[in-house]
Amino acid sequence: MEQAINEFYNQVKRTCGDEVAEHVQIEIDKRNVVKLTGEVHTWQDVVDIGHIAGRLSGTKGVVNSIKTPEFQKMPNDYPAAEKTGREKGIIGKYDIVIIGGGITGASIARTLSKYNKSIVVLEKKNDVCEGASKANNGMIHSGYDSKTGSLKQRMCVKGNAMYTQWSKELDFKFNRCGSFVVAFDEEDEEYLNQFYERGKANGVPGIEILDGDEARKIEPLISPEVTKALWTPSAGYIETYEVVLALMENAIDNGVKLMTETEVAAIDTESQKATQVITNKGVIQAGCVINAAGIYADDIAEMVDDRFYTLHNRRGTLVLMDRKKRSFSPKCFVGTAPKNFTKGGGPMTTPDGNPFWGPSAIEVANKEDVGVSPQDIQFVMEKGKHLSPGINEKDIIRFFSGARPANYIEDFIIEPSEKIDNFIHVAGIQSPGVASAPAVGEYTEQIYLNLFPNTKRKENWNPIRKKQKPFRECTQEERDQLIKEDPKYGHIICRCETVTEAEIIRAIHGKVPATTVDAVKRRTRAGMGRCQAGFCGPRVVEILARELGVDSLEITKNGGDSRILVSKSRKEPEK
Amino acid sequence: MIEKKVDCVVIGGGPAGLAAAIEADKQGLDTLIIERDVTLGGILQQCIHDGFGLDRFKKRMTGGQYAQRFIDVIKERKINVLLNTMVLDITPSKEIYASSPDEGMLHINAKSIILAMGCRERTRSQVLIYGDRPAGVLTAGAVQRYINMEGYLPGKKAVILGSGDIGLIMARRMTLEGIKVEGVYEIMHRQNGLTRNVVQCLKDYNIPLHLGTTVKSIHDKKRIHSVTVVEVDKNLKEIPGTERDIDCDLLVLSVGLIPENELSEKAQIEIDPVTKGPIVDSDMMTSIPGIFAAGNVATVFDLVDYVSQSGEIAARGAAKYVKHPKEENIETIDVHPGNNVAFVFPQKIRKKMESETFPIFMRVKNEACNVATYLEQGGNKIKIKKHLIVKPPEMIREILKTNQLDLSSDLTIHAGE
Repeated sequence: MEQAINEFYNQVKRTCGDEVAEHVQIEIDKRNVVKLTGEVHTWQDVVDIGHIAGRLSGTKGVVNSIKTPEFQKMPNDYPAAEKTGREKGIIGKYDIVIIGGGITGASIARTLSKYNKSIVVLEKKNDVCEGASKANNGMIHSGYDSKTGSLKQRMCVKGNAMYTQWSKELDFKFNRCGSFVVAFDEEDEEYLNQFYERGKANGVPGIEILDGDEARKIEPLISPEVTKALWTPSAGYIETYEVVLALMENAIDNGVKLMTETEVAAIDTESQKATQVITNKGVIQAGCVINAAGIYADDIAEMVDDRFYTLHNRRGTLVLMDRKKRSFSPKCFVGTAPKNFTKGGGPMTTPDGNPFWGPSAIEVANKEDVGVSPQDIQFVMEKGKHLSPGINEKDIIRFFSGARPANYIEDFIIEPSEKIDNFIHVAGIQSPGVASAPAVGEYTEQIYLNLFPNTKRKENWNPIRKKQKPFRECTQEERDQLIKEDPKYGHIICRCETVTEAEIIRAIHGKVPATTVDAVKRRTRAGMGRCQAGFCGPRVVEILARELGVDSLEITKNGGDSRILVSKSRKEPEK
Repeated sequence: MIEKKVDCVVIGGGPAGLAAAIEADKQGLDTLIIERDVTLGGILQQCIHDGFGLDRFKKRMTGGQYAQRFIDVIKERKINVLLNTMVLDITPSKEIYASSPDEGMLHINAKSIILAMGCRERTRSQVLIYGDRPAGVLTAGAVQRYINMEGYLPGKKAVILGSGDIGLIMARRMTLEGIKVEGVYEIMHRQNGLTRNVVQCLKDYNIPLHLGTTVKSIHDKKRIHSVTVVEVDKNLKEIPGTERDIDCDLLVLSVGLIPENELSEKAQIEIDPVTKGPIVDSDMMTSIPGIFAAGNVATVFDLVDYVSQSGEIAARGAAKYVKHPKEENIETIDVHPGNNVAFVFPQKIRKKMESETFPIFMRVKNEACNVATYLEQGGNKIKIKKHLIVKPPEMIREILKTNQLDLSSDLTIHAGE
């Protein structure tokens, strides 16, 4: 242990300087959990020191409590929410309480819904897929990139393969288009060889190195200057939101309950068991707690006094381009060797045909900081323009960021708690978390079955979820039929994306109800097009108000205080 | 599916479409207006300010009053109108597919089509503002709709980005509704809207206009609570150290308009990269014979009067086409923008011109005083008209005489020597 500590300080001195090292304290407990304290100047130092600790041999996890002036603790008012919840009293009892409605929580919920257990998913935000799950480009990685033997690698390769079945059962768009890493010179090619060897070791199917011409046969948009390309045909892409919604709808069909705007504030434990989950909505009695709380999973772990990891925000920014430029956009994902650019995304095309660039990877101090900075956009655009000439800033129609829940050992943490018998950690699920989601669901299922061996399967579990075909994808005859059945299909609300009033109403009254402007947008694409809701925004607000039976003043962009309108302009008109 | 055959389908019932439909009817064409809203008038319905019709009716009218003049004629002449009907597809062979809640899908074979879909507003991401993505960031047109048509106020304290006309008009409108307008910020070193709007909407209400200043970032997660503005230099690069935070709960974007050409693209009509509308000839005919474009779908005009005029020209063109559809290979000459001219509209002139005069529209690149416009052909320069001042936001309309032109060679238009 002394050797590890010496090694740690040596590296901190080398990376951040002697002065910084003097202000940092390290402690390693008998589980090999590293605890860091102290104060340094910059957030980058905090992150670098955390990673140094994470790389020490045998580290189970890093709890990084080093302070910096850049970091301000977010106003997560757990005590207030806890007080409210306890006052409200017991509102439910479930065999399994899953915290988090991202792709990980949804996958676990759907996987466990095949058993005779009552399940609730608690989501803090007002919709599913609001956290890390929206901070990615929907890439289903092949798995060549992950460290051989890591949990990430096993989950990614297996999860990737499972997407074929998922997309059939859950009826979402999945395009196994393959991905490239391209080389422009010999130095790049050396990286490619390393990736290839690792991909082979990781069990990535079909991985090979192609010469430039062979690669261009598959993807003609690859630059003529490219000399070699690593080709992984198993890579693909999905729209994460569509998948999370599909998972959650299928889980709900199989008896799972979803509670949105439900924030976990505390967890009661009794003789090494989690007994009650205290939320702002009230107290929920729990047979088992599964922590899939994204970037806040460390806070949840702390609530049962089993925090052995700290999650930090590796912000990813994505840039969506006009569909008009699809002919310039590669059909398969094209990345570069990491020489000129730090790791992070590159150009691809969404299932709907929009060029989609990013994500960037920038460490930010604040967990809630999902603003977009000029550096984020520069990061994405420089790399994109290099790989996909013909598309530029003028084609941007939207950009947004999300927080990746990175931890310092840079691997997934999926394991039963060593302190609490009925608590499962599913934490640090960042890239390739989307690709891994099916496998993470199954892996968590196995952990659950080990903890609760007498669990019985349902006889009537239904893995199938059917999607309603969007009006814009229908033939003219199908459209005519739909309008005959429901005239509201004849009323186009969003002109850019051809979204009908009937589809918006369906979304509002769906299994996972869309109660905000953003939720309607994600489900139907209303407001996602070129005009970005300039035209349909007021109309969507009106429909939401009517369908929810409230005044337009109550309608929000994405819950909480995000109201669109602040007051009426006039008193009621005089009769 | 309902099948129809029509001489002339006008897509859009705003100012361009209304004028076009009336003229097409006068020309004897069996005409149908397809309008997606439940009433005619288009965006004019929400324009309750005045200033419309000065050129055409020599009268200050509101948008609604201006539209009503045309709507009355449409009714008198019993021109066919399909309301609440949205065109979803146009084919190059002039087939139209439209959806209607009452009738289902319609399939219309048109002998001619006049595109009059208007334009839409540019949005936030297209002007690259960083920061959070809260509620309370709206385009000027959406604010106008909320206030004037729905009876709601979207904020209490507003910052306006962009000095386009709708933004200027909304500055006054919001002030009258009790919203505090903190200021109008314009990245360019000149205003972007009409001078009369700067005077009547800002100066008269003591609303400051900050030129060479833009909104850099937006703050707060749920509802906007402030923005950071920053000054820019001549090359529009941010000047470090000039950032200021301004409290506001509403950011109004008035950062320009773009012709709405999704349908034109479906019909594979050639689009001008500068005007962002179809390339048209002096009859307003697009690259596809029989399909015409009028109003803001073709190029963004500043005065509604010009929009109506372009609709009428297109309708006369459509009538000519329907009566003699076989006249293929219509020959044209190109009109090029010359000195200090950003673009000229229409982009082409027919070699066979029937009318004695015809208008061309243009915008200048830079403001200039005491300059004349010229047309140049084969080394000869002819003065068109002298102007006391020309400004980029104010479109110039020149009336050309057909007999002045040599319709065998291309033409260049200059603003100044």
